[in-house]
Parts: sequence; structure tokens; C-alpha cells
Amino acid sequence: MMDGHDRITDKALIEAVQRGDRDAAACLYHRHIDRVHRICQRIVLDPSLALDCVQEVWLKVFRSLGRFRYRSSFAAWLNSVAANTAIDHYRRSKRRSNRVDIDDPEVESMAADEQAGERQLDDELTRQRIQEALEEISVSQRTAFVLRYYENMPLAEIARILGCREGTVRTHIRRCLLALRAKLMAELNQ
Amino acid sequence: MDKPRFSFEEFKAIFPDHCESQEKLLSEYNFFLMLLEQLDQVPVPKLSAGQKADIFRRSWQGASRNRSPVWSWLGLLRRPAVTFAAGIVLGCSLMFAVAKGRAAVPQSPSPQRLLAVEHAGYTQVYTGKAVEGLYPQIENPKIVIERPRKSSTPQRVLYGTLDKGETYVVWNL
Repeated sequence: MMDGHDRITDKALIEAVQRGDRDAAACLYHRHIDRVHRICQRIVLDPSLALDCVQEVWLKVFRSLGRFRYRSSFAAWLNSVAANTAIDHYRRSKRRSNRVDIDDPEVESMAADEQAGERQLDDELTRQRIQEALEEISVSQRTAFVLRYYENMPLAEIARILGCREGTVRTHIRRCLLALRAKLMAELNQ
Repeated sequence: MDKPRFSFEEFKAIFPDHCESQEKLLSEYNFFLMLLEQLDQVPVPKLSAGQKADIFRRSWQGASRNRSPVWSWLGLLRRPAVTFAAGIVLGCSLMFAVAKGRAAVPQSPSPQRLLAVEHAGYTQVYTGKAVEGLYPQIENPKIVIERPRKSSTPQRVLYGTLDKGETYVVWNL
């Protein structure tokens, strides 16, 4: 069933979903779920929050697919829904601290594990440093950066999603890069 | 898709105020490329098949709950062709209703009518071309048949004017 659907265009699948075809909805979902999850995870930075976010994105998609008018491609529209939902999710949960503490038991167990070695520990610490650096960047800056460098979206599209000008998107990206560089300077110079 | 794309041209567009030498600029660019490589060390955890299935089931069911008949109809009405057809039907209905309403409106007595009769209690007033034909010398003639009571003998009076309204005429018939 899925194999048959794989050759069908998004448009044909959407038309089927608009008629209530559950299989077509499943195919459309599986075709795009990984990208939606990537966007959500990289914006909200928390795996459990990202799961809730992904579900909310698809709930919105299935609710509003009947009104989808192909003014842009489905993928572009979906990216926009995912990014905006993730931004909202992140802002709602802003007060909750998602940072992984340096005394996290996972890190401690790794440190205790002799076989893991120093190299592995260094990598893990670098990941945590990156995670912390990303968390300190504003969600708009992070979103602009994620959409441009991970999803390869054009600046105009990102500007539309964030409701700003292309120049502002460039500024967001510049500030994001500079903040990351400042935070990760030590790792980069090793 | 996970590979960051960051061309030198784009780097220059993002950092337009960098006016150092080309060498310095390239060095900065390479530094940021390294930074992006570092960022790739934070992979996005993959969703398991079970998680994917669960999210789909909940989303689809959640959306289905909201898909009430009313919403379905509203969704249907948002289609341009349906909206256009509905507009035509509505317009025709309105035109029909207005035309019908006009036909039902009683016509007021017109001075051009042959004979118009107004009733007020036991009094009747006759006007129109027929009365004018009977008294061609009188302007705006009207015959009034008055009865104080139903059983009273009716009294016929001709009212009108002469000499372009200068003389008022009251003539018992």
C-alpha cells in the first residue's frame, strides 16, 4: 500500500486526504515526518518537547489540509507550520530549563566507564556545550539558522515564516554564528 | 540534508562589514565551516517506527474529531466553484423574492385611472377620467357621496375648481 503511494505526488495525496483517505494521509505523513521532526527538534532542543511539537504540527496539518490551496509547495507550507509551531512550543516552555546539567548521571556513568575513554567524554562534553550554546541563542535566530543551513531554505521563505525582512534573517544568522563561535571557541581551537 | 550549506558568497553577504584582506576573509570563513561541522556532532535523535505510528494515530484521530459535518460544509463552501454557484443561487432567490414582493404591493390610485373610488366610513369619493368627462369645465372634479349614517339618504356633491384654482366649486347633485 505504501509502495504504491510512494510514486504519487504530494498533490494527489492531499486531494485523497481531503476526501478522507486515511492511507493517503499516512503516506503523506511518512514522506515528511523526518523533516518535520528535525526542524522541531533543532528549534525546541528537547526530545520530549519535540515529540509533542511534531504531533501538534500534524494535527494542524490534518485539520487545515482541506483548505490548502497550493499557493506554495506542500513541503514549504509544512516547513512553515513546523517552524512556527516549534517557536510557539519553545516560547511556552521557556521557563522550564531544558539544559543538561554537567552533573548529569549519564555523563557521570560515562566518566566512570573506563572503556568509554577520554575521547568519548570529550565528544559528549562538546555536544553538551553546543546544546547549551544553541539554547542561549534567541529562538528566532536559531530558527533562521536551522532553516537556512539544515533545511536549505531560501532567505525569502525564512523571512516569510518569521514575519520579517530578508535583511533581518541575515542579521539573525550572523548573530547566531557569532554567538556560537564565542561559545565554542575553546573546542574549535583544540 | 543534514550537511550545512554555507558558500563563501553567502558568508560575505552575511558579514558585509568584513573588509579585511581576502586571506583573512577566507580564514574566517573556514573557521565558520569548522563551527558548522561541530554543530553536526549534535545529531537529531531518530524517531522509532512505534513513535511515528503513535504520532500519526493521535494526529489523525484528533483532526477527525474536529471534522464535524458543519466544518465539512464550511470547508466545501470555501471552494471557489461552490461559492460561485451558491452566490448565483442566492442572487436568483433574492431577485425572485423582490420581484414577487413588488407584484404583491397594492397599487395606489392614479389620477390617470378611469375611475377611482375612495371609501371613508359611509362616504365615497369618485375621481378619475370618467368624472372629468362628465364635467369638462370643472378642474379636478370629484363627486362625493356622503351619508352620516348607514340608513341616511346619501347626498351627492360635486367638488372642484374653476379658472386655474381661483374659484372653488361645491355643487349639490
